[in-house]
Amino acid sequence: MSIANTLVPARDTRALLIKWIVGLLVPIAVFTFVWSGEAIINNALLSLLGTGNVALGISLFIQLAIFILILYATVIALAGYLVAADSGQRGMIALWIDILVFVLVPLLLVITQGLIIGLALCAIVWPLFFLVRRRFAKALHYTPPQPLQNLQILDAEQRAELMSRGIMGGFWFSVALAVVWLVADLIFYITGTLPTILLILAVIRTLILPVAGYFLGRLGGVIALRRTLAQKDNGNGESSTDRAGRRISKRRQLQELSTSHKREEARDLVPNDLPLRSTGAQRFYLILIVAFILFYPVIDPFLFSFGTDGRLAGYGDAGYYVILALGLNIVVGFAGLLDLGYVAFFAIGSYAWGIIGSTQLTNLLSLPPINPHLLSALFWPMIIGAALIAAFFGVLLGLPTLRLRGDYLAIVTLGFGEIVPIVFLELDKYTNGANGIVGVYSPAFPGANWLSATPYYYLILGLIVLTIFVNIRLRDSRLGRAWIAIREDEIAAASSGINLRNTKLLAFGAGAFFSGIAGAYHAAKLGGVSPDNFSLGDSIIFLAMVVIGGIGSIPGVIVGALAVYSINLFLLAQLDTLAADPSNPLFAVHNAIASVFPGFTFGNIRNLIFGVLLVVIMIFRPEGLIPSARRRRELHAAADEQVEVGALDVVPGAPGFEDEVRI
Amino acid sequence: MTLFLQELVNGITTGAIYALIALGYTMVYGIIELLNFAHGDIFMIGTFVCVSIFAAFGITLSSSPPTGLALVGVLLVTLLGSMAVCAVLGVVIERFAYRPLRNAPRLAPLISAIGVSLILEDVAKLWKGINFITVPQIFPQIFYHIGPITISSINILVIVVAVVLMIALQWLVTRTRTGRAMRAVAQDREAAALMGVNVNRIIAITFFIGAGLAGAAGLIWDLQYGTTIFYLGFTLGLFAFTAAVLGGIGNIVGAMLGGVLIGVIEALATLIPDSNNGGIGLPHGGAPWHEAIIFIVLILILVFRPSGLLGQRTPEKV
Repeated sequence: MSIANTLVPARDTRALLIKWIVGLLVPIAVFTFVWSGEAIINNALLSLLGTGNVALGISLFIQLAIFILILYATVIALAGYLVAADSGQRGMIALWIDILVFVLVPLLLVITQGLIIGLALCAIVWPLFFLVRRRFAKALHYTPPQPLQNLQILDAEQRAELMSRGIMGGFWFSVALAVVWLVADLIFYITGTLPTILLILAVIRTLILPVAGYFLGRLGGVIALRRTLAQKDNGNGESSTDRAGRRISKRRQLQELSTSHKREEARDLVPNDLPLRSTGAQRFYLILIVAFILFYPVIDPFLFSFGTDGRLAGYGDAGYYVILALGLNIVVGFAGLLDLGYVAFFAIGSYAWGIIGSTQLTNLLSLPPINPHLLSALFWPMIIGAALIAAFFGVLLGLPTLRLRGDYLAIVTLGFGEIVPIVFLELDKYTNGANGIVGVYSPAFPGANWLSATPYYYLILGLIVLTIFVNIRLRDSRLGRAWIAIREDEIAAASSGINLRNTKLLAFGAGAFFSGIAGAYHAAKLGGVSPDNFSLGDSIIFLAMVVIGGIGSIPGVIVGALAVYSINLFLLAQLDTLAADPSNPLFAVHNAIASVFPGFTFGNIRNLIFGVLLVVIMIFRPEGLIPSARRRRELHAAADEQVEVGALDVVPGAPGFEDEVRI
Repeated sequence: MTLFLQELVNGITTGAIYALIALGYTMVYGIIELLNFAHGDIFMIGTFVCVSIFAAFGITLSSSPPTGLALVGVLLVTLLGSMAVCAVLGVVIERFAYRPLRNAPRLAPLISAIGVSLILEDVAKLWKGINFITVPQIFPQIFYHIGPITISSINILVIVVAVVLMIALQWLVTRTRTGRAMRAVAQDREAAALMGVNVNRIIAITFFIGAGLAGAAGLIWDLQYGTTIFYLGFTLGLFAFTAAVLGGIGNIVGAMLGGVLIGVIEALATLIPDSNNGGIGLPHGGAPWHEAIIFIVLILILVFRPSGLLGQRTPEKV
């Protein structure tokens, strides 16, 4: 079979190709031409050729080039994967609407409103979309197609078919992209905004793209194939791999599971009704997100023009909230110990680096000051030191609470959270009291300029990655399972041989450890420590991050921390600034309210808006935005379990049956 | 010693207010195991409502206060008005913020309560502004000297009102049908429902009474201290909640005891000398430390009595 033959689509494949090429091409075209994709590439190329802004330098070119390559390659391979993985059951229009709402709308909002406000607006648009969609589905008596009607073991022929669909997807998508891009570049050239040299490169690109598309599509196909049900090789049963055997039994398991489980598990398999949500596609999204985050400081000036440093500083702050939320998640989410005084450990971590990392300690001990370079380098060991100090106090707090249950525990932790800031405030001999500690040194790292925000961005990124990694390992470890056992049932856990005392103390210690890390970072970033930053209100914000994200769910807690940070500490804090600008729609809103309530500012109702959001989110998503799968199963175990009808007093379907089952 | 007794009297007065607020916490906790963070803010709304009712009677800072029967009438109307507004507020909050979460995971209503607390604070800000509000002093302040200590007429009024309300509550909970239903729901919601208790109604009544007591606390706070501000509920709520836990959460007598105890500790803490002047004590004296001292006492008590002073150690359900 020649390559040319492979690339001629059959009829049903043609429909799939149109569906996905249009679906993916529109957002990527918007990114390239409306936003800054084109600008990034052209700048990168020009700086390489030495004709553009030379000051940008070669390292910038390399970073931009890597980002661009990853971005486009991933999207092309994704196109291949999606064409291969799609079962074709869901219609073209439905998919396009999904892509419009979930990709295009966010993209446009972020372009016009900036990253954080754009995403916050999405959080308003999406629930509205869900609402409208549900209404429509009800009005039209729409029933979703049964999942996995075509869950089957693919034979060799079908696998080859899948593979060729993947190749075609990648190839034709890149062809379409190349053509659109070339036409756009020609228009730019004619209107005189594109230098000739870039046009030549554009022609080369047009030739390379289809070839790259062929191979990337193949890659997409391979990834799709790895998620199929493989046929058991009957010819020589012995050689049938363990893998295939597992798949078969998995299928058998699937038949016995309930529909919801089926849906959940089926997301792994190909062909797939919801390929966009399949775990295969999620890998691609992960690559895109990681690339975006990793190269963000470089591409930010192209995406949002001036003000990069300020934005990066903001994201750095969001980062330590993520660490704090993940740390609190160990105590509250894994071990189920309600902690309302988590801010205390954050304060301890901050003061630990604040006192050591400034002249405070040497002044107190009447020693000659340490060489600033040495002090800066001390940050690296001290970040662990601060974390260990915080962990020690975590264990110390844990000790008196061991015998307490539920909300008695909450009040003791709350009390601890109140005591610690008072101690720091009143022991002003050592901590400067209300003035706080000033002149805390930033970390030292060869080649990094700590006056700009970029090194802090990468520092917090590294710390977050470390925290996430440790959290995942902890959760899956013996200790993590012991925590979860305690959360579910303390008595049962103790009866199974779990040492309650040690396990609980380790939970407090581990949780405090991470807030110590966040604290040290906070002190270094701020260049000082102020006792105002550690109030009960902050503890409550941390708790809200964990609960809104989804207790015990690591991705949920990250999303929750970012959401609460961006809404409460970023967006709502900016409302007054935004309303002061006459061109902003908020200006009119502000004036209208101010005519009823004299002296009204958005600052005065900031908490009101946040409070309403908290209540609404909790009512509509009581388990959080991304509930942990394990907890969801525990919470709904009763609903999912088959009930033996004979054991019930109420006949199924009769009034009151629901309550009976729940008990 | 004189100072000690004097602070004891002050402490008992403040403690009576804490106790009234603590009752709301403890009742709600007892019945649905929810830390009702918004409760302190309901109390704060109560203090604001009293100011508005005074204004409606034409009593301002500059006008001369009513006397005799008129004074009693104004006080009674204000008390009932404040209690009614707060009680209705409590029921509305329960209906819209907590009832939808009755079967949700445990922390969801807690976050919802925090949300309501934030909402109430900002509503108060919009209503009366962000500054301290001075309440007109309508109750004649007479000082009685018993030996070396001084008791004002307001102190006595505060304690009397608090004690009367607590006795009424105790009677309601232990002697009436509603009270029995409340205790039944607190013990086992499903079983109570099976016995024909309307659980939703009983929970609403609990919120009604608890919030009403907070409204009463609002009036006596205004009389005693003569000033209020929108964030008052947060701090006081915290102490009241501590009082509820100290006494044994869910236990009404315990809440009263805890409230008075915390008021007394808070008052006595101010007697601790300043160690910066040399000698034993704490830096800057005891006053800035009072919160820390309260919580340290709380932690110590809980270490030895994990269910609070009067809380019963219930056998754990397996």
